Amino acid sequence: MKIKILWALLALVIAGLIAVPWIASYFYVFIFTEILILGLFAASFNLIFGYTGMLSFGHAAFFGIGSYAMALVLIHLELPFVVSLLVSMGVSALLALVIGFFCVRLSEVYFAMLTLAFGMMVFAIAYQWRSVTNGSDGLAGFSLGSFGLGLDLTLANPAVYYHVVLAIVAIASAVLYLICRSSFGMILRAIRQNPERVSFAGLNVRTYRLVAFVIAGSFAGLAGGLIAPFLRVASPELLHWSMSAEPILMAILGGTGYFLGPFVGAAVFVLLETWITSFTESWMLVLGIILALMVIFFRKGLLGTVLDWWMEIKK
Amino acid sequence: MSGIGSALLNSLDIGLLLFIIAVGLNIVFGVLNIINFAHGALYMLGAYLAFTLINIVGMPFWAALLLAPLGVAILAVLIDRFLLRYIYSRDIGDSLLLTFALMLIINESVRMIWGSGIQVVQPPQLLAGSMDIIGSSIPTYSLFVIVMGLVLLAGLWFLFNRTRIGRIMRAAALDRDMAEVLCINTRLVVTGVFAFGAWLAAVGGVIAAPMRALDPGMGDKIIIESFIVVVIGGLGSFPGALLGAIILGLIHGFGGRYLPEVNMLLPFLGMALVLLFKPNGIMGKGAAA
Amino acid sequence: MIKTCAKRILVAMTAAAAIGAASTSYAEEPIRIGGIYILSGSAATYGEFAQKGINLAVDEINASGGILGRQVEMVYEDSQGKASVAIQAARKLVYSEGVDALVGLDSSGVAQGMVPTIPELQKPLIITHAATPDVTGKLCNALTYRISVNVAQNMKAAALVAAKLDATNWTTIGPDYAFGHQSWEFFGNYLKDSKPDVNLMSETNFPRFGAEDFTPFIDRVMDSDADGVLISVWGGDLVNFVRQANNRGFFEKDYELLFTVGAATEVLSALGDEMPEGVHLSTRYWYDAYDNDVNAHFVKAYIDAYGVPPSYNAEGAYAAIYAYKKAMEAAGTTDGPAVAKALSGMSMEAPNGTITFRKGDNQAMVSPNWGISGPMNAKYGIRTLTDLQIFDGEDVARSIEETGCSL
Repeated sequence: MKIKILWALLALVIAGLIAVPWIASYFYVFIFTEILILGLFAASFNLIFGYTGMLSFGHAAFFGIGSYAMALVLIHLELPFVVSLLVSMGVSALLALVIGFFCVRLSEVYFAMLTLAFGMMVFAIAYQWRSVTNGSDGLAGFSLGSFGLGLDLTLANPAVYYHVVLAIVAIASAVLYLICRSSFGMILRAIRQNPERVSFAGLNVRTYRLVAFVIAGSFAGLAGGLIAPFLRVASPELLHWSMSAEPILMAILGGTGYFLGPFVGAAVFVLLETWITSFTESWMLVLGIILALMVIFFRKGLLGTVLDWWMEIKK
Repeated sequence: MSGIGSALLNSLDIGLLLFIIAVGLNIVFGVLNIINFAHGALYMLGAYLAFTLINIVGMPFWAALLLAPLGVAILAVLIDRFLLRYIYSRDIGDSLLLTFALMLIINESVRMIWGSGIQVVQPPQLLAGSMDIIGSSIPTYSLFVIVMGLVLLAGLWFLFNRTRIGRIMRAAALDRDMAEVLCINTRLVVTGVFAFGAWLAAVGGVIAAPMRALDPGMGDKIIIESFIVVVIGGLGSFPGALLGAIILGLIHGFGGRYLPEVNMLLPFLGMALVLLFKPNGIMGKGAAA
Repeated sequence: MIKTCAKRILVAMTAAAAIGAASTSYAEEPIRIGGIYILSGSAATYGEFAQKGINLAVDEINASGGILGRQVEMVYEDSQGKASVAIQAARKLVYSEGVDALVGLDSSGVAQGMVPTIPELQKPLIITHAATPDVTGKLCNALTYRISVNVAQNMKAAALVAAKLDATNWTTIGPDYAFGHQSWEFFGNYLKDSKPDVNLMSETNFPRFGAEDFTPFIDRVMDSDADGVLISVWGGDLVNFVRQANNRGFFEKDYELLFTVGAATEVLSALGDEMPEGVHLSTRYWYDAYDNDVNAHFVKAYIDAYGVPPSYNAEGAYAAIYAYKKAMEAAGTTDGPAVAKALSGMSMEAPNGTITFRKGDNQAMVSPNWGISGPMNAKYGIRTLTDLQIFDGEDVARSIEETGCSL
């Protein structure tokens, strides 16, 4: 019964999201586009953090390279939108395979440091390889052509783009959710809790970690591909460690224990930022305080705390 | 050849400054198993406190070198007492996250208190100007930095190997529960080590202040450099921190000079290579997966 | 009877009051202008100075009745020096804050990314700082204007200065983004035009914007056989650079040095007498270079309010607000495209003289100020500028064809 209520709530939220361009001011179309994309980015991160227990500080490498791939494809090849997104996913999956191969052998702090190093290496390359990436100024001036799949959509209209993003993020999240709920996902959670026991059971922990890493990387790349036309620029900041910190913050804010936690975290993060920056420049201070409080007292995150409480009270 | 000579001197200069700044991070990890993301922010706070003491209160540089790090150390004690104690027994990811939050708070506070603009601290008269060494003219202050780095190294070695406090810290690092059984007040050790790490960061900040323009972004830049130093040298080993710092200094000095098109990449490449082939760092302790 | 009568009177009075209130509140609804500048990080002072100039203009305009009888209100957003952030900020300002017009942009990189998105917002933008020639060139559009000097104009003037010097081996030290690269590109081309035997060295130096350590680059130049250096480092970087260069003995060598934005007052204040004497410094606007009523008033008002002479960023921003005043009053409305149209070809009296937005590319025909650093100005603690050169705006501008703009 309780679960049904939750699903009903989710359906309500999705209906609300669909209705945003008609029920909220124009500005919120942009806000929610950003929330959806960053939510997907954070959810992809949570696959390796919340589920598999690996704290990566270089997840933005896949996000950023998805953006750059999107930009480069649109500038040089002018392929339809859907095809370009698939290219972005492919490129980031490949990068995740390479980086993941090296990183999954290490644990804890060393894993975090190596992912940081690789992430910053990608950043440095994007920053200095001016001839390909236009350096620190980034790639701009690309425009969206056709959608593909025979559908004729004016992607240049922000409300249309928002619905496209909503649809894609919904489908991608559903896929990601199924992966998390599968036996594969269960093994990942087992690895987070006790890697030795899993390996004694005869499973190759490294392989599972790598697969999770690649899946996470490709969904991050998808998010990156979606954000490039939204931001209008593919720039090195999307690869910087400070960008890698965002999905970490969002996952913690929302809760790493539930699939939708990162989405809630993304929404809270973006809405808070928009609201607070309208009356002070010290948004980072507020964010720091909130994060500190979350880590100390509400380690399960907003959604985590609420859902755990909900499950408790109606016993 | 003056080209290589000046690149070498420059590398030593950068390297030893990085050592002074990063060794605190290393010690805190070695003894407490905490990665202090706020280390760069504490360094910056040291520099800004020195700025206030020197430029506004009118103290001489040496007084600031004494007082500013003390101020930061006191702040660190408060941070430990009121914040860190909650997550101390949790896993290392939580300490990363909490100190990351701390970094945001301190960075923004610095910006709010001192403004976004660039501030400048002059070196003391004694150390201004330059000297002629090996045919290159090297700023006197750079020599001061090199000397201070070596003095610090000697002091730390003495502290860890020849004093009771040092032995206590090493014991707590090896086995905290055992140390408690032996009546060592580990809570005090934790606070003390954390404050010591912050003190070292702030000393680095005061020493760096006359060399760099101060701005609220300087903490962010230095934290990554510190991570690189600590990884290359070895987490938890302070001679390793020296080695790591010198290597990073060489990468900056020679890379910036002879390979400018890829000089941003090199430090991270170095970091990655060390983690791949010798995750403990060149001289460190630690564990791989 | 009386009740109905009273009720009717009450209704009528309320209606009248409501209509009256509505019409007065419409007239009192302020005109909002959005400012997008760098307000954080190492270049934050540039944003702050722009705000100072703008607030001065807004206070003056409001005190004398506002624009079209309405008061002016500013809303600021921090671009953080990133194009994506600036684009989001512009969307927020236009859709959420309802601004009627935009001013801003401290970075050429930001401008390159943001200007193509301006037409969607249907609001005019006056750029007061970012200098990439592209925004009044190949990226130009009917809603984007620039009131400040661009790289092409400044580098043509620089080349004119350099052509008269003896140096023949030129290199550059500039920030590794559009501004640094384009400065060198345009300077080289213009210098070659007037002095064909000059050697533009292939060994150039582009430290990262915001780099802390310039010594490797300083050393490289000192080891090479350059005798002329174009330095386009700016802001906090320039402060760092000059101090480190001093330590290295860079200024004791016999280089001809051209600092493309060296005479920015915030840099000169931070450096004091560490800025060497006898080097060529340029700025978009030097407070002491113009002898007209508008400038006299502006400089005095600025010094009264803030205690220091105005920097070029403050002046450009100040003038931009007055440009909007003139354009809005000429158009009789705050409608975006109408105001933009009124700006086209418009002339106005600014602190740096009578300036005109050229019809073909929306660039103001203005000149940079080049001079040589002289003795210290004791009152303000900054170097004076001697041998001031002000070029004719038309002379240093590119032709419309050269810009690549087609409006």
